[in-house]
Amino acid sequence: MRRKILVNVVGVLLAFLLGALVLLIQGYNPLEVYFRLFQYSLAPGKIAYTLSNSVPLVLTGLSASVAFASGAINLGQPGQLLIGGLLATVGGLYLHLPPLLMIPALLILSMIGGALWSGVAAVFKYWFNMSEFITTLMLNMIADYFTYWAITYPFFEKNATYPQTPLISKGGWMPEWGNFNSSILVMLLAFLVIWFIVNRATAGYEWRISGQNSLFSRLGGVNISKNYMMVMLLTGALAGLAGGMVVTAGPHRFIKDIGANYAWDGVMIAMVANTDIILTLVYGIFFGILQTGAVGMELITAVPKELIQVLQAVIVLIVVSGRVYFETLFTKLEARRKLKEMVS
Amino acid sequence: MDDIIEMNRIVKIFPPALVALDDVSVTFRKGEIHAIVGENGAGKSTLMKILYGMQPADSGEIIYDGEKVKFSDPGEAILAGIGMVHQEIILVPQYTVWENVVLGIEPVNFLDHLDVKKARHQVKEKIEEFHFNLDPDAKVEDISVAARQKVEILKLLFRNVSILIMDEPTSVLTPQEIPQLFEELKRLRDSGDTILFISHHLEEVLELSDRITVLRKGKKVDTIQADEATKTGLAQMMVGREVIFESIRKAQQAGEVVFEICGVNYTDPNKRPRLTDINIKVRASEIVGIAGVEGNGQLELVNVIMGLIEPTSGSIIAQGEDITREPIIEKRKRVAFVSQDRANMSACIPAKITENVIMTHHRLGKRFTKWGGRVLDSKQSALFTNEVREQFDVQMTSGEAVFKSLSGGNQQKVILGRELLLEAPFILLDQPTRGLDVGSIEYVHRQIMDMRAQQRGMLLISADLEELFRLCDRLVVMHRGRVVAELVTEETNVTEVGYLMLEGASYEA
Repeated sequence: MRRKILVNVVGVLLAFLLGALVLLIQGYNPLEVYFRLFQYSLAPGKIAYTLSNSVPLVLTGLSASVAFASGAINLGQPGQLLIGGLLATVGGLYLHLPPLLMIPALLILSMIGGALWSGVAAVFKYWFNMSEFITTLMLNMIADYFTYWAITYPFFEKNATYPQTPLISKGGWMPEWGNFNSSILVMLLAFLVIWFIVNRATAGYEWRISGQNSLFSRLGGVNISKNYMMVMLLTGALAGLAGGMVVTAGPHRFIKDIGANYAWDGVMIAMVANTDIILTLVYGIFFGILQTGAVGMELITAVPKELIQVLQAVIVLIVVSGRVYFETLFTKLEARRKLKEMVS
Repeated sequence: MDDIIEMNRIVKIFPPALVALDDVSVTFRKGEIHAIVGENGAGKSTLMKILYGMQPADSGEIIYDGEKVKFSDPGEAILAGIGMVHQEIILVPQYTVWENVVLGIEPVNFLDHLDVKKARHQVKEKIEEFHFNLDPDAKVEDISVAARQKVEILKLLFRNVSILIMDEPTSVLTPQEIPQLFEELKRLRDSGDTILFISHHLEEVLELSDRITVLRKGKKVDTIQADEATKTGLAQMMVGREVIFESIRKAQQAGEVVFEICGVNYTDPNKRPRLTDINIKVRASEIVGIAGVEGNGQLELVNVIMGLIEPTSGSIIAQGEDITREPIIEKRKRVAFVSQDRANMSACIPAKITENVIMTHHRLGKRFTKWGGRVLDSKQSALFTNEVREQFDVQMTSGEAVFKSLSGGNQQKVILGRELLLEAPFILLDQPTRGLDVGSIEYVHRQIMDMRAQQRGMLLISADLEELFRLCDRLVVMHRGRVVAELVTEETNVTEVGYLMLEGASYEA
């Protein structure tokens, strides 16, 4: 446990150090840049806003973490997010219910949308033994252009100059209290449910063991294909929920490229968190802090906000490689200690 | 005779803390066949790999021909005249014998192209020089395993290696091919080469070698002259105490049939028949052994029983019910299973010990779950892990530790605990003692006998005849996917079963 924290903290610090080097070469003052970055996202009035920005990151991160830990290579979060968002939008355009019914209805619709999209990949695997690695990636592109078509023709807002739908009915807007958007509560709830399923439920146990050794689980009596189907549907639903959140907590309509910034970050977060559910939450929020702060950093110090994407990638690379490196380092140190014991 | 290699005080630790070699010193003389013997994990291969530059030693030195040497890779060792033939043979199957031999050091003509004539001629000369019965133009994929092994040796001789390390060379050979290999090795020795020979077959070692070094658990026991050694003496040195090669069964009446394989046939996707008309019955309190050289259908039989592959025809019947096409979880109510492949079939190595212990129980045992089976009861998992630890004498820190952290013997105890506590009336044991040390083997054998006393029926697949004779009531011999003999253990002997395993036909004394 302590080792795990050490690897992550050291990895992140190293990444910031590398980033500072880049900034120095470019003639910026790294200390000021970093200060502005965190000042913008962590100022007292800003924290709630930053947290709501991390909602889609955490949800797609959870989707990828659960999938990877269970041995299902679901890389379709971008597509599932879009379809989920689209379905929630369509529901929001045609349903007119009081908020207490409307919001759950839209969230469920978004999850159905995501699950539908990942379900296609799961069925392809079941019938034709096609790897979800390929099919989910292909389905991303289809989802991309399908939603583009949907907001350009059937659900197009008449007077708009940019491809987007009209606003969804007010009852479907996620309530906001000052800066605090209730989508944060949905994110925390999803986190708790997923943590419980993965770490306490019978299904989660079977998923994790199958992810590590599928033959052993099969011989132990685990129904591998049923579990695979469940994992694909659940992780699709999570990514779909992220799409629903983006629409109902954000612009309240489906705008072109609405999810472009989030879904791949989910895969990155799952990798850097090593599919650990708690770490997924931590990194999801941390990346949210970075991305939110990037805007402020650009405003004040004129450092382009793209620097943050580089920083994120460097964090992933350093932490992931560091994990393996530290492991071998520790075992080697132990071996050396043993050698000394024997020789003396 | 002169000492040519001295290995002094070699220590090797595999991280984190596995001591593979503990202060081992050996000398090898010029022109001798020197056998290195020991059980699995005694450190034989590691010692030779260090000499050959495949692995660095953590401490100690090697003196070769009067000079201190340290090879950082096998290429350097070969240049210095030390070569190693591994158990698995690594050749290009599509190339001819001579092409394989010259590969990497091809003679070239003035255009810097391969000089085919010269290369082929050189290889042919070498073959004649050492009286190897090999055709230089044969393709490697067309020749026998024994001939391929010869090509490996030739490759090294062609590089002027004068010290030849052979890692269990007979393990890939048929009994008929072994004497020829031995002839060739002796001829090489007589021409002044040194041969270091890893083995755990005592008879071979006694027949072939001049001197023998015995390793036990990473330590050198002794180096002795082969003509002063005996088989029982060597066995005692290897395992550290007297070895009993006898049955430990007590008389017990077998009960009714608990498990039955009925007319099972299996043809693999390449249309090759792997199992032909297999019929085996197992009664309660009975241990039926399956004897056979590995690769004669045992793997397929296990997979059919466990439901990993579907038989082409025939059925598997447990307690009178046909379970051939039942889901695996249904089979597991009646069949416990200990696999020979711990890492892939019997355990999830990176998971916690507890998570390994509750597999299958979590579905079959009501106590392990709550909320209608949806949620695991972690208290019960911990309690059960403790039961396994106590009943099966597992050395471990906590159930929360990863399974990987256990030693091989303790891993097998955990697996046995899980499977035997399933309380299935039938247990399939596929080489349950493979890769274990002697103490653990004894432990596993005692557990198996306990299960017999508790009315369980067992099918024991083993490559080890001593184990089979020690435990089994009846023996079934498999050869090329068929049952070629069914014998009562008391009425047969090792020679007969060994003959049936190799030849398949019945034995005429």
